[in-house]
Order: sequence, then C-alpha cells, then structure tokens
Amino acid sequence: MKRTENIDLDVMRKGPKLFAFKPIALAVAAGTLVACSDSTEETQVYRSAEDCISGNPDQVEQCQLAYKDAVNEAVKSGPKYSSMQACIEDFGPDSCNSYTTQSSQSIFMPFIAGYMFSSMLNGGYRSAPLYTSYSRHSPAYGKWSSTDGALYGSSNSNKVRVNDNAFKPKPTVRRTMSRGGFGSTIAAKSRFGGKTSRSSWGG
Amino acid sequence: MFRSIIEERPHWRNTASEYGFTFHTMHGAAYWDESAYYQFSLQQIEQDIEAPSEELHQMCLAVVDKVIGDQQWLEKFQIPEQHWDFIRNSWQTKESSLYSRIDLAYGGNGPAKFYENNADTPTSIYETGFWQWLWLQDQVNAGKLSRKADQFNSLQEKLINRFAQIKFQHLHETLYFSCCKDTDEDRGTVQYLEDCATAAGISCQFIYIEDIGLSADDCFTDLDNHKISWMFKLYPWEFMLREDYADALVDSQVSWIEPPWKSVLSNKAILPMLWKLYPNHPNLLASYFEEDLKNSQLTNYVKKPIFAREGANISIHLAGEQVYASDGPYGDEGFIYQDYHPLPAFGDNFTLIGSWLINGKAAGISVREDKNKVTQDLSRFMPHIIL
Repeated sequence: MKRTENIDLDVMRKGPKLFAFKPIALAVAAGTLVACSDSTEETQVYRSAEDCISGNPDQVEQCQLAYKDAVNEAVKSGPKYSSMQACIEDFGPDSCNSYTTQSSQSIFMPFIAGYMFSSMLNGGYRSAPLYTSYSRHSPAYGKWSSTDGALYGSSNSNKVRVNDNAFKPKPTVRRTMSRGGFGSTIAAKSRFGGKTSRSSWGG
Repeated sequence: MFRSIIEERPHWRNTASEYGFTFHTMHGAAYWDESAYYQFSLQQIEQDIEAPSEELHQMCLAVVDKVIGDQQWLEKFQIPEQHWDFIRNSWQTKESSLYSRIDLAYGGNGPAKFYENNADTPTSIYETGFWQWLWLQDQVNAGKLSRKADQFNSLQEKLINRFAQIKFQHLHETLYFSCCKDTDEDRGTVQYLEDCATAAGISCQFIYIEDIGLSADDCFTDLDNHKISWMFKLYPWEFMLREDYADALVDSQVSWIEPPWKSVLSNKAILPMLWKLYPNHPNLLASYFEEDLKNSQLTNYVKKPIFAREGANISIHLAGEQVYASDGPYGDEGFIYQDYHPLPAFGDNFTLIGSWLINGKAAGISVREDKNKVTQDLSRFMPHIIL
C-alpha cells in the first residue's frame, strides 16, 4: 500500500464536537484526586544566603545552592527592561542592574530581594526568587512578588503562604518591546499592481 | 498515466465544511476539482517519480553543502552576507527539516523533469495528505472506484512520524505554528500541520507572523510575552532575512521548521548549480545563470526569478522571442534560465506533479492542472489513483 493506512476521521473534523458522556463513577474519582493537590504551605523567606544559613546552620550548602538557583531562575524568567529608567519606575531607585546580551544590547533587571527556601525530608530543597518594589506607585510596593508578578503579602514578613506552583519554574515571561518585525515583505508585495486578493505565501 | 472523468461525490462541499476545508473554491474559481482524476501504474509511481524524487533531493542537499562552504555561491544565491554564519551554523549542526515538495514535469513516459524545489514553504499539503485520501476512500466505498485502487500518499503518516522524531530534541517545549494574516489557505495548511504535530504528542500554539514580538533581551515572544523557542513558519526565509527582526535571529535561538539552511535549497539558483554538478542527468533540465547563457546552446528557455512564488514573473522565450510572460512583484535579485520543457497536456490541460518528501523520503504526490502553460496559485488540484 502506497498510502496512509488509517486516519482518525473524528480528529480531522473541525465542526462542533458531540458531547462525550463519561460514567459517573469515573467523574467522582477524578474529583477526589483533584481536591488533594490544592493545598498551600507556609514557607520561609530569606533575604540572602547568609540570612538562610543563620536560620539553618546545619544546611549551609543547601542555602548557598538554593540562592544560586533563585538567581538563575530570576535571570531566566524575571522582568527585563530596555532602559534603566523603566526598571526604576517599577522597582525603585538602586534596585536595578544592567546586563549586556550577546548582541551587545543593554538590558536592565531588578535585583532579587530574597528567596523562598523549603527543605525536604530527603535532604533536598526547593527555592524560588522573590522581588519587592521600593516604588510607591508599583502594586508590588512593600510586598513580596514572584517572577511572574504574583503578590505574596508584606515584605516585612519572613514567611509567605504559597501553593506548590510557586516553586515550579515559570514560563519565561519577557518584556516585549515591539511587534510586527516580521511580515513586512508581504505587505509590500500585496500592494503590487493593486492586487487585493491573495491566497498563499507558500508555493 | 491518464485522465479519467468521474462523478463528483454528491455532498463533498458539506463534507469539506465539516472538516474545515475552507479554501476549495477561491476567488470564485474551483481550486479543488474532483470532476476527473489521474491514474498511474505502480511502476510509473515507483520508478519514474518516487525513486527520482529521492535522488533529486540528495542532489539538492549536495548543492546546499557546496554553496554553504563557498562565499562566491552564497553571493550568487543572494543570501545577505550578515546571515551567512546563521545559515552555515544551521547546516553544520544538521537542524531538522520536516518536508519539501519537488515539482516535476511528467506525462507517463520518459524521465520526469525537475522544474523546481519548494523546500521552504510548500503548500497544498492538506489537500494532498488528507483531502484526496478521503476522496479515494469515499469513491471506493461508493463503488465508483475499484477496491484495488491505491494512491501514492503516505504523507499524513510520515508527517506524524517525523514530528514524533523531532519532538525528542524538544522535550517540554511548545511548538508555535505561524503564517500570515488574511489567507485562509495558509491558515488551513498550518492548522493541518498543527493537527499532525498534536497527533505526535507535541504541545502546540498558534501566532500570526505579524504578531510575533521582540523582547528587550532579543527573544521572540508570543502575545502573552512568553518566549518562543521552537517555531514552524509558513513564511519564506528570503523575506525573513530582509525584515526588521532579522538581526535578532541569532540571539533569539529559536529552533525553526523549516531550518535556515532551507533558504539555500528553495532558491531557484539551485537549478543552474545542479546542472553544473550533475550535467546531463536524465531528470534535470539544462539551466544557466545569466552570464553563462551566451555560451550555452539554449535557444528555447524559461526565465525564472531567483526568488518568486506561485508562477509569478516567469517568461518563456522561443527562438529569441518572448512568447509568454506572467507579471508579479519579483525579479529584483536576478534570474536563471532553464531549458524549455513544456508540461504534458491532457486534453486542454497542462499537468504538473508535486512530489512530496518527508525528511528525504518520498511521501506522495499532488497533481495540479491549468489551462495555462505556467502553473499558478489558482491551478486546480486534482486527485489521483494507482491501479
């Protein structure tokens, strides 16, 4: 046979799908499982690796590694700005640092103000970076904030109440500076000869 | 190989809307045409189309290797110099390719002749991989075609398998699919590929080319400002390399389908290069760059722009006289000259075979028909069978 042996036609249909009934027993079981994972925990916040070590003298190495992890996660998924001024507006004076990208462009990121640290029974740990803002018109003013902008309560406190997701790496959120830098050629080619209709830009 | 009239499926337009095939009729004219089909023998398919397609593909890859290693050829191919390293790197690290479509002039006898390679943004893949497959199944079930009728079309199966292979290099990554706004055909094509990727277990999202953003740290972003790290684009490299975001291509570190080295493969300058490397190959037509035309024996030829799509800006010259010319917006980057070898005629139709390759493996054909000698974007798509 020289053709595809089988195609699932239901998957290929694009019209409205018929409602699929599920046995009640299954739905109940699924509901029970979901309820179990929806818990929060109180987690300690440290402002530096030293701060962490003084609270956990038997976990020097974990505290240092957790700090490094938090800094790395911040570089990866934390807020990024194209000007120092924009960063200061959101985080306050003396709160931002400049970095140079591989394309020798300068970008600006806030310093992390602390990190959540939670040790686990097996000797491991979990950590996540936290920011705070010293800028009065920022919603994060005086509060702990995560890389994706979630607010966790007053930054005077050394504890935050978070759920499991707070420790998971965040989708990398970027500060988009512009859009529309691709697609300009077709705009130009479409104008050719007053041709208004178009079908494909493939071939 | 011959053309047969057949009754249309009575409700095929309803079926089309059920499956979301929205572009079967474009600008008031039929694009999908099932009032007839083409019939091939298995021998014609395997010996004259399948085997030469795979060989031609390998020959094209050899040209890419030569061009990428030589500054003179990169210039000749009109690749902007600031992107040479970007393209070279993509070739040297063997970035995965998904598909391509080789256009062949073939009428049932003699060697198929290679017209060109749509290796970057080939379209009509939904019509080929799914819609004509469904047509065959329906017509066999309706008793209009023999149960023994087959089709050269393992495209959907091979696409899904290929996506599943590529997925292993991108665990936990989202694959963004992208095309331009305002074209049902491109959106439908991309939706089909997205369906195939989903079937391979890949997590997919869609964004229009014009909506892609650029972040402060040179990442391409989606509309939620998430970094795009893996992207399928139905948009030609020759455009992308010349647009505003081209300078961010290296730092953005996106893994592209098709990869940047396809900008060499889909370039019409590949035709004279093939003729230089494989002169008199039975599946090739003599082709020349402008400066070599004088010393060639070519009297009847087709002049094609180095970059062009859908039959635009092509002219036919017979014994020194221009007998046909299509208009269009291309040609600024120069032209190549290809021996005039007209498409075979079936009745008053000129017929072109598109031969699909998935990662170098021949995967099926599409048949396009036109009253015109040059196949254009609105040429009709005809189903085919093997019997």
